[in-house]
Amino acid sequence: MMGDHSLIEELLAADALGGLDDDDKARLARERSAHGACEECRSIEIGFAETAGRIAFSLTPQPVDDSMIERILSQPGAHRARQEPIAAVAGPPADELSERRAGRSRAWMGLTAAAAAIALTVVVIGSLGRGGTVAAQASTSQRFVEFAGSHTDARLAMAFTPGTPGAVLWGSGLDDPGAGQVYELWMIDDGEAISAGCVSPTDGVVAFRVDARIDTSQSMAVTNESSACPSEPTSPPILSADLPTLL
Amino acid sequence: MGAIDLPGKRDRDLMARLHGGDEDAFRGLFHAYAPTAKALAQRVVRQSHLAEEIVQEAFMAVWKNPGAYESERGSVRSWLMGMVHHLAVDLVRREEAHRRRAEASIPQALEEQADHADEVVQQLGLPEERRAVRDALAELPLEQRAVLEMMYFDGLSQSQIAERTGIPLGTVKSRTLLGMRRMRGVLEGVER
Repeated sequence: MMGDHSLIEELLAADALGGLDDDDKARLARERSAHGACEECRSIEIGFAETAGRIAFSLTPQPVDDSMIERILSQPGAHRARQEPIAAVAGPPADELSERRAGRSRAWMGLTAAAAAIALTVVVIGSLGRGGTVAAQASTSQRFVEFAGSHTDARLAMAFTPGTPGAVLWGSGLDDPGAGQVYELWMIDDGEAISAGCVSPTDGVVAFRVDARIDTSQSMAVTNESSACPSEPTSPPILSADLPTLL
Repeated sequence: MGAIDLPGKRDRDLMARLHGGDEDAFRGLFHAYAPTAKALAQRVVRQSHLAEEIVQEAFMAVWKNPGAYESERGSVRSWLMGMVHHLAVDLVRREEAHRRRAEASIPQALEEQADHADEVVQQLGLPEERRAVRDALAELPLEQRAVLEMMYFDGLSQSQIAERTGIPLGTVKSRTLLGMRRMRGVLEGVER
């Protein structure tokens, strides 16, 4: 456990103001990792985020178009959420994806397939999250897709049954997305990116059910987004996968 | 008559009601914070119509995904402003050149704009919050305040500030930390 918080405090102060350069973002990620589940770090981060948010109140409020409320309320809220078609995410070329996939270890493929055999159970997700192995007979109707990314060692896979709504996404080795950030999954359907939800990893592990129409999508992508879970991607894909290429 | 203390528990209650699709709860949050959100977005992106888009995107996210707010991570108002700030800075960094074209004329226009939303925030007790934050900023040494404002309001990174001001990067970093520590200390002392 680390006792010196001077560096992470300096980084978190700038991060709260949105002023970190890319190299310092990487340093912050390393510091977070080194400090682990650090209560003091959490306290510093929350305190600075709160402070930064309050700086906005030094400004004189500006009038907002009242019709904006109705435009927003005309959209389905959380109680009946559904996803809206949005702008496309440009993923890597298919041949690049194939090349990356070929380079993946067979062990991971095996783990993916085995885990996905009972992927719709929480038991599998929990086992994978703890780094355990799962031995089971895969159903022939289930399909598995592994994501690829050139700048990450993270491993992410999706299991689903064609013709059946929903899928399970799980992965490990994901970097902390950063303060106020999450990972967002996008289904690419005829060039449009449709959000399939946001998730934050715990100790690098994610596992969640995706309520998305897998059958109508041609590919998928994961981006790093604000915790607001925006309705369209604002950053390039970290991981992506083509759906037609099934294991 | 004392100010109504909207922030805090009432905000969290409104967020909880949003989970059930309560439109009145959304209107409450919107009226309380959209004007400040607009001011923040406009200060960063320098263009009113872009600021409106940012505010709409942020509040749309609140409406669609209120579960993104985690009460243990701070107040609703700071979470909202953090979201707006992130969207605005992201836009600025993507459209740097576009922003610079408008930079010269807008700040003055902002100062000259009438405070149409004051009657709204008056009812909600936010003038005290604004005064407290302004006082806290005013108490900062000028060099610390300048760094914080360039970073937060102009969307500049620490290295960009160092480059533009000629101040060593290490100095920018230390001023950021000292300024934020001081702001945090003062504002936590006037926690609403």
